[in-house]
Amino acid sequence: MLQINKLNAQVEDKQILHDLSLNIKAGEVHAIMGPNGSGKSTLGNVLTGRDGYDVLSGDITFNGKNLLEMGIEERAREGMFLAFQYPVEIPGVSNMEFLKAAVDARRKHQGLEELSSFDFMKLARDTSKQVSLDPSFLKRGVNEGFSGGEKKRNEIMQMMLLEPSLCILDETDSGLDIDALQVVASGVNAMRSSDRSFIVVTHYQRLLDFIVPDYVHVLAGGKIVKSGDKELAKELEAKGYGWLESEVA
Amino acid sequence: MSEQVSGNAQVEDLMRKDYAAGFHSAIESDTLPPGLDEDTVRFISAQKEEPEWMLAWRLKAYRAWREMAEPTWAHVHYPEIDFSSISYYSSPKSMKDRPKSLDEVDPELIATYEKLGIPLHEQEALAGVAVDAVFDSVSVVTTFREKLYEAGVIFCPISEAVHKHPELVKKYLGSVVPQKDNFYAALNSAVFSDGSFVYIPKGVRCPMELSTYFRINELNTGQFERTLIIAEEGSHVSYLEGCTAPMRDENQLHAAVVELVALDDATIKYSTVQNWYPGDKNGKGGIYNFVTKRGIAHKNARISWTQVETGSAVTWKYPSCILKGDNSVGEFYSVALTNNFQQADTGTKMIHLGKNTRSTIIAKGISAGRSNSAYRGLVRMNPGAEGARNFTQCDSLLIGDQCGAHTFPYIENRNASAVIEHEATTSKVSDDQMFLCQQRGLDAEKAVSMIVNGFCREVFKELPMEFAVEAGKLLEVSLEGSVG
Amino acid sequence: MSTSVTPAAEFHQHALALAAAQSAALAQQDNSPAWMTTLREQGAADFARTAWPGRKTEQWKYTSLQAFQDFVAADWGAAPEVGSEVVTDAPSGADTDTDAVGNTVLSLDATRLVFVDGVLDMLASDALPAGVTLFSQADADADKIIADHLGKIAGGVDASRRNLFAMLNNAWTCDGLLLHVPRGVTLERPLYIAHVSSAGAGQPAALATVANHRVLIVMEEGSGAQVIEHFVGSGAGQPAFVNALTEIQLGNNAQLHHTRLNMEDEALSHVGAVHLNLHRDSRFHGFTIAEGSRLKRIDYQMNHCGRGADLKLDGVYLARHRQLVDYHTTIEHRVPHCTSQEVFRGIIGDRAKAVFNGRIHIHKDAQKTLAELNNRNLLTSNAAEVDTKPELEIYADDVRCAHGATISQLDETALYYLQSRGISPSQARVMLSFGFINELLQGLPHEAIRTALGTHLAALFAADRALVSDVGYSDQQAIDSESV
Ligand SMILES: Nc1ncnc2c1ncn2[C@@H]1O[C@H](COP(=O)(O)OP(=O)(O)O)[C@@H](O)[C@H]1O
Ligand SMILES: [Mg+2]
Repeated sequence: MLQINKLNAQVEDKQILHDLSLNIKAGEVHAIMGPNGSGKSTLGNVLTGRDGYDVLSGDITFNGKNLLEMGIEERAREGMFLAFQYPVEIPGVSNMEFLKAAVDARRKHQGLEELSSFDFMKLARDTSKQVSLDPSFLKRGVNEGFSGGEKKRNEIMQMMLLEPSLCILDETDSGLDIDALQVVASGVNAMRSSDRSFIVVTHYQRLLDFIVPDYVHVLAGGKIVKSGDKELAKELEAKGYGWLESEVA
Repeated sequence: MSEQVSGNAQVEDLMRKDYAAGFHSAIESDTLPPGLDEDTVRFISAQKEEPEWMLAWRLKAYRAWREMAEPTWAHVHYPEIDFSSISYYSSPKSMKDRPKSLDEVDPELIATYEKLGIPLHEQEALAGVAVDAVFDSVSVVTTFREKLYEAGVIFCPISEAVHKHPELVKKYLGSVVPQKDNFYAALNSAVFSDGSFVYIPKGVRCPMELSTYFRINELNTGQFERTLIIAEEGSHVSYLEGCTAPMRDENQLHAAVVELVALDDATIKYSTVQNWYPGDKNGKGGIYNFVTKRGIAHKNARISWTQVETGSAVTWKYPSCILKGDNSVGEFYSVALTNNFQQADTGTKMIHLGKNTRSTIIAKGISAGRSNSAYRGLVRMNPGAEGARNFTQCDSLLIGDQCGAHTFPYIENRNASAVIEHEATTSKVSDDQMFLCQQRGLDAEKAVSMIVNGFCREVFKELPMEFAVEAGKLLEVSLEGSVG
Repeated sequence: MSTSVTPAAEFHQHALALAAAQSAALAQQDNSPAWMTTLREQGAADFARTAWPGRKTEQWKYTSLQAFQDFVAADWGAAPEVGSEVVTDAPSGADTDTDAVGNTVLSLDATRLVFVDGVLDMLASDALPAGVTLFSQADADADKIIADHLGKIAGGVDASRRNLFAMLNNAWTCDGLLLHVPRGVTLERPLYIAHVSSAGAGQPAALATVANHRVLIVMEEGSGAQVIEHFVGSGAGQPAFVNALTEIQLGNNAQLHHTRLNMEDEALSHVGAVHLNLHRDSRFHGFTIAEGSRLKRIDYQMNHCGRGADLKLDGVYLARHRQLVDYHTTIEHRVPHCTSQEVFRGIIGDRAKAVFNGRIHIHKDAQKTLAELNNRNLLTSNAAEVDTKPELEIYADDVRCAHGATISQLDETALYYLQSRGISPSQARVMLSFGFINELLQGLPHEAIRTALGTHLAALFAADRALVSDVGYSDQQAIDSESV
């Protein structure tokens, strides 16, 4: 599904990612852990094509296509989804209107009919219930005045509606209480399938108890310094990142 | 009922054909040669077979105008207007003479209006709306008159009101905007040719929305319409105004005056979607829109102005409320969007005279291209305005680094118990918002128009349904090409 | 003087005659530097050319200069002759009542310089510290600094916005004070400059004093200083006209705390200005207060000239009796990545009037600007007036700008809270009214000033109800009345 080959990327003239390679097959869940500032969010931003994140070298293939040639919205329509670490507020733009436009764009790209307003409304209501968001949130401005937890659940709701093929969750668990965490995890688990992959960025082993990953990678200083299975996450939880950094250095 | 339908169809037909034919091929019309002197004023008055008092009123305005200077304080720049090169009167000879062919109309324009869905809007809107269509300077058709008449509502061309309801016209014309009020109002008072007249009797709730469609058609003609709305005690009316003009390389002048009188406990809601031709991408052509709109609110009355301004090359417009009666309420909700080389200097005045008067101002300015948009407003609390309140929120959004957005609020308070709150912000469409929209699959243009629409939501929700939809589309079209 | 001459013209004539008389005296001394002659001549020419501001002059819209005209008529009868006596050939400290001076100036842990009617009073002053010199005693190096900067900083204002009284200050400059802080140096002690108006103390009775103050502060790269300018009257109660102009140049990375205290006698009219250029990464923290004296007009003109500069200005105005206080501030963001934050609060009582005009101008290239302005007012009498006009003029898109202005009353909830703790309603009102401005006083960096000012103002609030609001206002009330 996604092949990252020797990726070097910079932000504002500062190189953040160094020779990063990662291969994700359909249906896999990869967890990425690592200390603050190690480049986890940067990776998500580079993958989704955010302005200001420049690829210096390396290549990325997504569903057999050259990802780096695609614009932000093309990547999204191809099935790439980023759940933001800090979801932005868009005052005045109703969640419903926003979601319909996004789902329509994705469906159109897939050669599908646009959903009727009625069908979409019903779908959106059902989905909002799945993430325990009151349907009234659909009428409010995008993330406008939402609490931290509500924003994160709104992200998961969007993911469910857009049915992407690659989901990148950037610290979706941070700042959530245990109930909200379970809501998020069960949303993700419900979506796991043989043709959908996940990159789960997290600091905490806790989330990985609910979303069990196939692989765990440790990102430090913009490189993947260690990869393993879910046991690696437990090890990290016990020892911290320090031992890895010293091991690398 | 049958009259309604046919009246309805008639306007629809007219509007459509105007769009189709009114642009390049001239409609045969009686157009006065350019120039303005006392004889012009007398000619206009004679054309309308006006009574002597009306002519005297006009001449008084004309003489005042001659002594006045064009205002220069607004944040707009345009070449000096030669008032002697404008024709002050034009009347279509016959509605049946119009050519029927679409071929001569600029396809870009047709495409623009199709995108706007204006014909569609007309069909929908006209279903329950009474329309007065003003074509160049003359009111050509007014629909639903019978039905309104049953309710006691008078809705007719002002030229007709001068003959049929002289006592009302005499009493109220110029009572809110006096002849000498300002340069353009004086000019309008001298040469206005038509416009709408509305009278809602005591206690009557007008059974339908009233609407006027303005259209400038002839080359080199100025349009000077005059609207007068009188809402008697306890009455209620909602009035809509729409306007369009053909694309021409020359600038054309539109200097209208609107007067609203809301007597005790009355409500007047006045909505405008202004889409005069804004000029082309290089700033050539377009309407100069210099408009004076003002209402007076008596005890417990409410006047609400809502405007969506996307057209005109230059806009100079400050719909205002004089809150004379105790507990009266004034509202101003505005979206002003400028693109390319457009300039807008618009806002409102809220003059609080009575006790416990309240006003709300929500102004949203969007500047794109090389345009400039300014909010200019006055909130004045007089010593008698005990307990008065004002809340003002002005937000500006910039799209691109070649445009300007400005805020000039004047706040004058002379009452110790008054409360005034004014806030203004200026920002651009944020990169983060754009990224979120694009990450969810929307293209840049759609993302911008969605964010801009969200920015304007508070104002759009004040518009009647059909207009709100049109306004949203209008923004989308007006923003085209502004995202690089 | 012919009666057909307007008071304005009369002021012009007197002012220019005084400048000419001074020039003649300076010529006799034969040692005035070339820059001074140029400055004076240019100033006189500019002043002579510039029309006397009336209501149509935007910058003077709310401030009538009638007081100046009265001043001319009543007190300046023999001005041209007086002029020659005012010329500063010898410091006239011996003539002034040093006791009186001692009572009005503050004793602070600072280097103290006392000017009486524009002339340095040696007896009341400390020795001039390094870097501080009178224009008249400047050595070659200092003379060059003066020649390079004096008049240039104030002269950078757009031609259409140049201040008439800055021109006059140029025309009247015979002497002044230079503070030059060399590269990397931080002044150990604050510099406290007291500008005392003797108001006729050393003059023949009934003749008005005209005092011209000029201060130039040049801060080289990486330097730091604290300067306090204090304007006081010595209590003689005679009419006087003070024109004070301060120019400040902040080099790269320089830091200045500048405090301007305007606390003159009722009989004084004061026109003052601070002109400031901020270069790369420099920081300015200003504080200003205006209290006392019948007419004060104070302009702050602040220019961001280098990236990364940071500006903060706090202001307080208190107007009582028939006083008029007028602050005009302008911030020019000419370059990217600068910030500015301005907060002004005022209380206006009796028959007084306050005017605040805060303009933020973001030029086309000034991307990434953060600018905020906030103005809050408390009006305590229905005979008082406040006119406020925060302005934004913005030509760059990637900026965040906001302004707010409010006119309101004391917070009911806070009043209730204080009363529930046993404080009398009247005491609570005093506390809250004082608290309204005290928030800004607390931001003053110099503790001794904070204390001195705090004590002075607290006493004023306790003694004069004009500064205490009697009206409470709660948000709840507003919400209730909204929903009616
Ligand atoms: N927009 C940006 N501008 C400047 N530096 C950035 C930006 N985004 C990220 N960085 C820097 O890149 C590094 C990696 O950041 P990030 O990817 O957010 O780390 P993580 O998500 O692993 O905590 C940090 O040093 C951060 O300061
Ligand atoms: Mg991160």
